[in-house]
Amino acid sequence: MKDTLKKRKNYRVIEEINTTITMIIFIIISLFVLYPLVYVVSAAFSPGTGIASVNIIPFGDGFTAKHFVRLFTETLYGRWFLNTLYIATSTSLLTVLITSIAAYAYSRFNFSLKKPFLMSYLILQIFPSFVGMVAIYVILLRINGLDTLWGLVLVYVAGNLPYNTWLVKNYMDTVSRNLDEAAQIDGAGHFRIFFSIMLPVAKPVISFLAITSFTAPWMDYIFPRMVLRSVEKQTLALGLFGFVTDKKNEFTTFAAGSLIVAIPFIIFFLLSQRFMVNSFSGAAVKE
Amino acid sequence: MHNPLPLDGTGEKKVVRTAVLFMGLAHLLWLRDTVKGLLFAAVEIFYIFMIPSIGKKLIDLVTLGSPQPELPIKMRDNSIFMLIDGILTIVALIVFFSLYVISVRSARQGYREYCRKKRPMNMGESFSNILSKAFPVIGLTPSFLLILVLVVVPLIFSASVAFTNYSAPDNIPPNNTVDWVGLANFKTLLGGEASWTSGFVRVATWTVIWAFFATLTCYFGGLFVAILLRESKIRLVPFFRLIFILPYAVPSVVSMLVWRNLLNGTFGTINRTLMALHIIDTPIPWLGDPLLAKIVVILINLWAGFGYFMLLATGAMTAVSQDIFEAARIDGASRFQVLRHITLPLVLYQTMPLIIMSFTYNINNFGAIFFLTGGSPTVADSTITSAGGTDILVTWIYKLTITLLKYNYASVIAVLIFLVLAPFAIFNFRQTKAFKEGDL
Repeated sequence: MKDTLKKRKNYRVIEEINTTITMIIFIIISLFVLYPLVYVVSAAFSPGTGIASVNIIPFGDGFTAKHFVRLFTETLYGRWFLNTLYIATSTSLLTVLITSIAAYAYSRFNFSLKKPFLMSYLILQIFPSFVGMVAIYVILLRINGLDTLWGLVLVYVAGNLPYNTWLVKNYMDTVSRNLDEAAQIDGAGHFRIFFSIMLPVAKPVISFLAITSFTAPWMDYIFPRMVLRSVEKQTLALGLFGFVTDKKNEFTTFAAGSLIVAIPFIIFFLLSQRFMVNSFSGAAVKE
Repeated sequence: MHNPLPLDGTGEKKVVRTAVLFMGLAHLLWLRDTVKGLLFAAVEIFYIFMIPSIGKKLIDLVTLGSPQPELPIKMRDNSIFMLIDGILTIVALIVFFSLYVISVRSARQGYREYCRKKRPMNMGESFSNILSKAFPVIGLTPSFLLILVLVVVPLIFSASVAFTNYSAPDNIPPNNTVDWVGLANFKTLLGGEASWTSGFVRVATWTVIWAFFATLTCYFGGLFVAILLRESKIRLVPFFRLIFILPYAVPSVVSMLVWRNLLNGTFGTINRTLMALHIIDTPIPWLGDPLLAKIVVILINLWAGFGYFMLLATGAMTAVSQDIFEAARIDGASRFQVLRHITLPLVLYQTMPLIIMSFTYNINNFGAIFFLTGGSPTVADSTITSAGGTDILVTWIYKLTITLLKYNYASVIAVLIFLVLAPFAIFNFRQTKAFKEGDL
């Protein structure tokens, strides 16, 4: 009896020590994680311009909102924001529409060349898309798509197609065929079945697709840099990069601009992350 | 009209022969499938009208134009346009021949149908026949065209450029033309010119080392944190988890550029802080020394990437059935034993394909290198090859394309990356559900 009591007490001590150690580890990791983020916030509100003038103690020089004012009055930040929003929204909508209708066709119809098409999608998906940069440039030049936002949207949508068609097709394959057969007996055409039965049923994978194809253009730098030449057509990534090049160091303006993009982005991301994890791990463990 | 086709299936040869003779002819002549026949015939007629232009484009593809210094620049042969148009033409021809094969097959099928029904199709059937096939055609055309023009053609193009001398300063259209050079570029990079070869070997080695450590650190970092979060009895776990995800949620353009500034050797915040605390006397060249820069890059990538694997490992662990843990506990296993013998193997098993995927992703992880170091610091061969100490193959391709205009070398590297990554891609493919279930 006494023995078990002692054992229990020992156990509790060990637990205490464990908890303290993990707590310390968590705090150290948190510091490492938060360190640069704190400096972005602090730099966005600090009076100087370059990184050299930012106080090493966060918020050490007091607050100012002048960088935010500058972004919208002296730079084209608002324009860049709208451009990026336009690109992301169009890419997301077009990707969802084109991918899901193609995936439906692959999932429900048998036609010649179906297998070779699907196989080549898989092979295409492994190339880094910007390898074909120069050719895309010339093709856009030929169809007057250079320095236009829609040209960039086309490039993104095309790049998204091979992988996502597979993703959505795999999902639709799991949807019971009884559903569409019943609808067919009731006289519904394929377009009707697609829009009023398939799309609602495939909502999880469709929203995953919408989210990923919406967020990806926010971070991309290579294609906008190549396709969009004029200042008023630039995107946020290009604009922000322009504040901290080797020639120009406006770190505080950059920080203010980043804050405006990153904070809604993070909130959006955190809201959708539970959903993303399920899809990720789902993709990994499928038997 | 009397239909001369036998109903017992012996007319198949005749039908197929007519179908081969001209697209759609069999449909019109024998099967009375007017709508389909006209559509097929229209395709063939269109291509026949294109023959002169197709021929010219194919010749241009072979010659890539000839130098015409006497003409004004705008009127000279543009080899790059010729190359792309040639590829588009070949793709169009492949589409044509596929349609041809489809038309012959459709004629044969139509004949079999005819034998079954003992009569040719009427107009209404012909229409509804087309309509039932319309959905996949309409549904797939946009996707097919986009992929063909903006994914396939560019890839074939860049693979072809590897066999040309498309590079600054002597072969940049429209000023000059480009020629086919065979394997010359491969020879230069793989053992021809000393600085290019050594540059290539150096960058390729670093790319593999980088991808290996970047994947490994993030994977085990994420796994470690996930296990700690799961095992700890602290109430703040959801809060910490939220903090740990933050770096993954910040766009890499932002976070890497921030780190680049914080780590700046002369006026970066980190050095100034360390000096103010009297930990160091002289600034540390975080991104200025080739070896140190490499280590820093891997560490910063750990910062950016461990959150992703933490999420995955957490997901994988919740998927493990609770019964196993209970059984282990009843058998008297300690927490460490459970971790060592049950949790870890299961999580490792589940996430193994993701390690491979992450490795291939890191081989091509442009953002982590380009925004953090821009490839710098410069090393011995940098002035010729433009590849800095932390440049990986993709950032080097980018520089070769954008700054040096050495498209030929950039393409060679792209081709080589593909050859190396193809086995991994096949591995990934074998993991897919479709492959396992034998759909393909």
